[in-house]
Amino acid sequence: MILDLHAHSIKSDDGRAKVQNYCQWIRTRNLPIDGFVLTEHRQFDFESDYSALAADSGLVILKGSEVETEYGHVLVFGVATAIRRMTEQLDFTNIRLALTDVLAVAHAAGAVAVPCHPGRPRVGMAAHIGTYGIPQGVSIVETYNGGSRDNEDAIAQALASEQGYRGIGGSDAHIVSHIGRCATRFSVDIHNEAELVEALKAGDFEAITFREQAA
Amino acid sequence: MTINTLRDVQFGEELPVFDPDTGIDNVRRFCTAAGWLGPRFTDHDAARKEGLPGALVPGIMSQGFLAAMIHRWAPTANITTIDTVFRAPVIVDQQYHINGVVTDIDEEKGQVEIDLTVTNEAGETRVFGTATVLIPTA
Repeated sequence: MILDLHAHSIKSDDGRAKVQNYCQWIRTRNLPIDGFVLTEHRQFDFESDYSALAADSGLVILKGSEVETEYGHVLVFGVATAIRRMTEQLDFTNIRLALTDVLAVAHAAGAVAVPCHPGRPRVGMAAHIGTYGIPQGVSIVETYNGGSRDNEDAIAQALASEQGYRGIGGSDAHIVSHIGRCATRFSVDIHNEAELVEALKAGDFEAITFREQAA
Repeated sequence: MTINTLRDVQFGEELPVFDPDTGIDNVRRFCTAAGWLGPRFTDHDAARKEGLPGALVPGIMSQGFLAAMIHRWAPTANITTIDTVFRAPVIVDQQYHINGVVTDIDEEKGQVEIDLTVTNEAGETRVFGTATVLIPTA
């Protein structure tokens, strides 16, 4: 199963895509992905229910979050109750969260935290290692990001290789036509956030890119 | 294909790719007309002294390119919004491609949403955004 683990909808301040249009685009263009995770900036969208849209489109639509730390941006994957527990301890709107706190609170809640676009200047983990050192507790990073420029993905992949991190892929789509540019292939089927967390913890996945085909 | 009415528009339709003239002479002409004569837009050396990678194509000029592209495709379109996110600078004298694709059609309102991306020669997205346009229904 292939999921795009990093996408934003109009719920994010810089997102311009309606979720139904993501589905329509994936189906119209026959994109080789089975679904996507909405990782809205600095929040978890507890309200929206995409189950009917998922059923109609035959796609898996899951929810996560993208929070901000001193090491850059971090994706958080977990079931709603776990994320709720996290938000009781961490203010997701805080743009200066401590990465170690995010990792620890996610772990305690049964969620998974994944630094994203780690090769990106300012908002990626690699840019801050010189200042803060190698963070403890990271086991997965995003090694393919659909919005990467220059050698950002190469930096991410080198970091992952050096530190023994596993890699995921996500489009980082903010507009409809960017969904599915990068994704993650899992060896198991995933239907909900609990199964996503289980699969991430099991570690049997790989980051993939469709960027050249998409271009 | 030139779009005249909403019936001509299909979801997923790609607008003809537009390669804007980002040459220094054209940018200087634009800046003169717009009253934006800051050296960061019109002089590479001056821009580099400010720490920039080169002279910048003004954001409003990039938005003008986007509007021009839409009107080449649909001359009767009424552009109601162009909403852009500048992810990386657009540099004068470098080659860019502007792509547009229809991502939503509201037949009742006669309204179309278009994804817009400005990419460089490496295929990297420098600017993305959406436009909302009204197109005559008949």
